[in-house]
Amino acid sequence: MTVVIGFEGSANKIGIGIIRDGEVLSNPRRTYITPPGQGFMPSDTARHHRAVILTVLKEALEQAGLKPADIDCVAYTKGPGMGAPLVTVALVARTVAQLWGKPLLGVNHCIGHIEMGRLITKANNPTVLYVSGGNTQVIAYSERRYRIFGETIDIAVGNCLDRFARVIKISNDPSPGYNIEQMAKKGSQYVELPYTVKGMDVSFSGILSYIEEAANKMLSSGQCTAEDLCFSLQETVFSMLVEITERAMAHCGSQEVLIVGGVGCNLRLQEMMGVMCQERGAKLFATDERFCIDNGAMIAQAGWEMFRSGQVTELEDSWITQRYRTDEVEVTWRD
Amino acid sequence: MNLTQDLELFPGHRVTQMLFKEVKNAAELRQSAVEGKISGALINPTMLVDPLQVLVAANKAVHLQTIGKMKTRSLYSEIIFNLSPTNNISEAFKRFGISDGDESVMVVVVHKKDEVQLLSDVTARVDGRQVPAEDVSSLSDSAKIKKLYKVAPQEDKCGTLLDAVICRMATKDVM
Amino acid sequence: MAVPEFLQTAELLKQGAEARVYRAEFLGKPAIVKERFPKRYRHPTLDEKLTHRRTTQEVRSILRCRRAGICAPVVYFVDYTSHCIFLEEIIGSSTVRDHIASAQQSDSGTEQKLQQLAERVGQILARMHDEDVIHGDLTTSNMLLRHSQKDGEPELVLIDFGLSYISALPEDKGVDLYVLEKAFLSTHPNTEALFEKLLKSYAASSKKSSAVIKKLDEVRLRGRKRSMVG
Repeated sequence: MTVVIGFEGSANKIGIGIIRDGEVLSNPRRTYITPPGQGFMPSDTARHHRAVILTVLKEALEQAGLKPADIDCVAYTKGPGMGAPLVTVALVARTVAQLWGKPLLGVNHCIGHIEMGRLITKANNPTVLYVSGGNTQVIAYSERRYRIFGETIDIAVGNCLDRFARVIKISNDPSPGYNIEQMAKKGSQYVELPYTVKGMDVSFSGILSYIEEAANKMLSSGQCTAEDLCFSLQETVFSMLVEITERAMAHCGSQEVLIVGGVGCNLRLQEMMGVMCQERGAKLFATDERFCIDNGAMIAQAGWEMFRSGQVTELEDSWITQRYRTDEVEVTWRD
Repeated sequence: MNLTQDLELFPGHRVTQMLFKEVKNAAELRQSAVEGKISGALINPTMLVDPLQVLVAANKAVHLQTIGKMKTRSLYSEIIFNLSPTNNISEAFKRFGISDGDESVMVVVVHKKDEVQLLSDVTARVDGRQVPAEDVSSLSDSAKIKKLYKVAPQEDKCGTLLDAVICRMATKDVM
Repeated sequence: MAVPEFLQTAELLKQGAEARVYRAEFLGKPAIVKERFPKRYRHPTLDEKLTHRRTTQEVRSILRCRRAGICAPVVYFVDYTSHCIFLEEIIGSSTVRDHIASAQQSDSGTEQKLQQLAERVGQILARMHDEDVIHGDLTTSNMLLRHSQKDGEPELVLIDFGLSYISALPEDKGVDLYVLEKAFLSTHPNTEALFEKLLKSYAASSKKSSAVIKKLDEVRLRGRKRSMVG
């Protein structure tokens, strides 16, 4: 039996999860929520994480019913993400690893999402759509790498949604994306927005600047409601995502899709992806907010795979990096 | 002599091409066509590269007739219009229709399988010698065709003159 | 509706992200039919707009390429009601993707052949961009090699112009190359040097390449510098 504890805090969530051979023993999490109209700044986020991380760690161990001695490896997010929060979490991980005398393992955040998705859904070799506040990638595995077939050429889809939420002052509690999703359900009028797909890549900056410019005018003139805008924005950006996912599937001959990342728990996105899959006889795999949104178990799970394939991170190598591409990691645990 | 091809998209419909040389009654034929007395399109064969060119025009004409979007009054005038690279109808007739002094004529008839009578009606009206429709290529005036369809020498690199002509005919609505 | 019934009897070759692709006889010739069927996951207004735009853009770009002497399939017929394009079937062809993959499998003597191929692709793309055609979906699957009866080098044929458009902006051309670079390197592992050859040949062949390559570098940098939070 191999037990791995994972520390995640690359953005505004701080999570610590424990995995024992594919079983999630615990996965507590806290979210740093900012007032409407505001994003989260690195230093404030790091301060939030520092304030709660030991409480979360205690919860993780207690819920799992384990003592430090039961842990085989301490995994933490090496990157990508925001510098200050990453440093904070890595520091705690390094400290407990030394206190407990356990090996350390630096994990790529994106790989964490993929491996957690594969664990939970049992998808075998899916085309992965990874969508979050900082990432938008279409990934498929080949020859020991998760290769990026498509991605955003500017901002991430979650970033586009978050910044739109700030423009029309939608609450960040529990997350801007969640509130956009709820409002979109009440929208009915489809407002035409720029649609930019470049092969398997997408671009969201044009949509964002268009809607930043036009939103408040359209709202004050009564041309449409905030709900209509949420609806139209979702319909447009999700169509783009489904389109590039389908293009990558056709390109790779894949019949499985796995959606991961914070935006991946949006039910409308899942529904649209499901329709696409049905049309081509493919299968959709998705998870709910427990595992889509950043969490500690995903780092533990990727760490578990890496640890079992013989990897560890020496103390002097246990740094963090804000930029860390998914395809930089050699996947030593898959054929 | 006759060249007949089924229109795969419109089951039951077929296109027959009949080529005549040494035609002596072109003026009379043209007049009958204007009055709608001939069920066929009369085409100047020097503007044709290959029978496929006519088929492309005929298929498009039947399609537009089916969906009620023809640009001209009849199926046969639509075939002539479709041959043209431009959207100017009178220009199309001037270039691709026949003139009174013409000595060769390509007659195109769209018909059902059992409507062979239509074909013999046309043959009976033409005072000329019927030759295999495939021979149309020997009558083509390539220089004139290239000029009208604006085919530059560099296009030879990626295909034949027929390819160039068909491509322009098929896409002219969105150019 | 004649075309949908016709397609029921045609041979379905593949279902891409955009369209179903069939093989069928059309006017007595072997033809490829590309059908942009409605995508039910999209809002109907958006779907109709995209489908119509892409159908017209596709045929426009094909004609523009052919006019410039760049091989692309002949368009036989376009049905704007069922959004179907009838195209020449490129007989006796294989994709550049298959070609590279099989060359990589066999060990000897293929290196030089692949480099020549990469150079030719670079030249053709340079010519296409000089005509202001942005392909929009450059991959090695969207390039065919036609092995002509005559001996000599196979011809390169560009296909799948569904995401194409006309633009003179170096930014658009740079992104076009960026899209190819990513598709190329993710489809064909360990071909960085080969792709470099392609770009070199592009740069040497295009009259306006320096601004395009500069944009390509910018777009790549944007990718690397992008913040990846969350």
